[in-house]
Amino acid sequence: MIWLTWRQFRVQALTAAAALAAFAILLAATGPQLASLYSTSKVIDCHGFACNNAANAFFSSLAGLDKVVYPLGIGVILAAPAIIGIFWGAPLIAREFETRTFNLAWTQGVTRAQWLAVKLALTGLAAMAVTEALSLIYAWWASPISKVIGRGQGGPQLFSQGPFSSVIFASHGITPLGYAAFAFTLGTAAGVLTRRALPAMAITLAIFAAVQLAMPLAIRPHLVSPSHTTASIYAADEAFGSLTADVVPGQRNAWIISSQALNAAGHPVSAIPAACANPPGAPGEKGGTSAITPAQCMQKRGYREAISYVPTSRYWTLQWTETAIFLALALALAWFSFWRLGRRRA
Amino acid sequence: MTAVIAADGLGKRYRRQWALADCTLSIPAGNVVGLVGPNGAGKTTLLNLAVGLLAPDAGTIEVLGASPAAGPAQLARVGFLAQDSPVYAGLSVADHLKLGAHLNTDWDAGLAHGRLERLDIDPSQKAATLSGGQRAQLALTLAIAKRPELLILDEPVASLDPLARREFLQDLMEAAAEQELSVVLSSHLIADLERVCDYLVVLVGSRVRVAGPVDELLATHYLLSGPRRDPASLPDGLEVISASHTDVQTTLLVRTSGPVLDPAWTVSQVGLEDLALAYMSQATRRRRRDNNHHLEVQK
Repeated sequence: MIWLTWRQFRVQALTAAAALAAFAILLAATGPQLASLYSTSKVIDCHGFACNNAANAFFSSLAGLDKVVYPLGIGVILAAPAIIGIFWGAPLIAREFETRTFNLAWTQGVTRAQWLAVKLALTGLAAMAVTEALSLIYAWWASPISKVIGRGQGGPQLFSQGPFSSVIFASHGITPLGYAAFAFTLGTAAGVLTRRALPAMAITLAIFAAVQLAMPLAIRPHLVSPSHTTASIYAADEAFGSLTADVVPGQRNAWIISSQALNAAGHPVSAIPAACANPPGAPGEKGGTSAITPAQCMQKRGYREAISYVPTSRYWTLQWTETAIFLALALALAWFSFWRLGRRRA
Repeated sequence: MTAVIAADGLGKRYRRQWALADCTLSIPAGNVVGLVGPNGAGKTTLLNLAVGLLAPDAGTIEVLGASPAAGPAQLARVGFLAQDSPVYAGLSVADHLKLGAHLNTDWDAGLAHGRLERLDIDPSQKAATLSGGQRAQLALTLAIAKRPELLILDEPVASLDPLARREFLQDLMEAAAEQELSVVLSSHLIADLERVCDYLVVLVGSRVRVAGPVDELLATHYLLSGPRRDPASLPDGLEVISASHTDVQTTLLVRTSGPVLDPAWTVSQVGLEDLALAYMSQATRRRRRDNNHHLEVQK
């Protein structure tokens, strides 16, 4: 059974190996340059606000290629499970129905459950291995950028996102394992259900894309219990004049779930007080007499920011939780495939 | 002796439509059994139930005394060749033999290679490029080389040209004789089965109309022709299977255990094809009559 699974999977496996190799070569070609730019940058031993300038300098020193490769790599890791689900999962069983070869496969001396178990296990493990390999290679390549983001704010929006940002969280750590297992078993189950590869592919793409969107938007914020703090509105604000917190002071990479500005009496406020909305002589304004920002103005009036956030210490708890959810879904989908085929409705 | 296939009240439903209903039959071992019936009689459903590709919705079926596809041991005892002989288009002939070797414990590699060599099928050829006859032969080789006790074939020659059809069946008979296999094969063409079967089952509308050894069936069925008369006036012990009348003459196909002594009849032997067709048209007629009756009631 292992031989047959490999024989039928061979072409897809080689294609994946080639894609993985191309990805590795691309990153290996640009990685050392990125690392040396980091090692000569001032970010390494900066303090305070100097870090922002150093980070800015580092990002502007990156050649255009890196600005392409950085998002491209994340895109590849996020797309890999979907591609695997569509091209490995969906046809795995559906093709046997389409070509009617299940008649041949299921009347050999191997039970249907065994046949499916080997196919799911081998192909599924390959799916997880490929996706995680992409993620690990990328994490190595992008580590200078991650370190700079951890030190100071700066650079284009693309580069200012910490480890909890939706696309970065889903493409780093162990979550790619979970996404790959889920997408693959989703494709297989869809194929078992429709018995046609093409509709199964479409269903897989639709459901996986929906889940990939729903996870960061609706589900992930509820997976860990957040910490709460009340911080200086000035320190929490990096947009110079908004009521929402952009950063947890002292914990640059923490993930802000929600924030609420409070006035001196401790009551929530929903608008910047008129007195601070347009203070005279804001920085950059011509003829300004006092260099005061709305945030500084509110700070002076005793405004605070209540923040609920996930500290970086809980990063791996969240990684494991999310991965476990997807692995559980994958097991449920695999069980469905067994159950459906076991009912022997050929 | 254990029956190779024993079904009791067997039924299979697709959504609300019964593809096979209340089917009871018992096929003894050691025969080459022809399963005939018109399209839609439930032949494929019955055979798929026998190899465990389907599970029954009603009744029971036992194959070689055990539940179909109950485990690897039972799977090994039954070889199956599905309709249109599906094979993996992307795999070579040699790959198919490897598949058989990896998936079957009693695989006879010598037998498989010998067969393909004798049939002049190139092992390096992709299965997609095989002719219909060659593909059927490859699928048959897979089914035989696993050394089953029972070989089940669903319309094995339906898509073959007459020459390939004859060669295939001849080859099948040789293999069955060599390995002392029981064989069950279905067809809607009796002519194909006539040459090879020693046991016949006629299945119409899920029901077994007649079943028995071919020589016994031929020895108990006669074609009678004589002056026109009412079939109801025949003596007991004569069962009329089909009757046709002209203005002056009546022709009957009858089943009887004893000889026909009435000198008014010209008695002649009946061929297997006519015999099977008589049973099939009998069933069709009966169904039509039922339908008409049904319509009248509705009025």
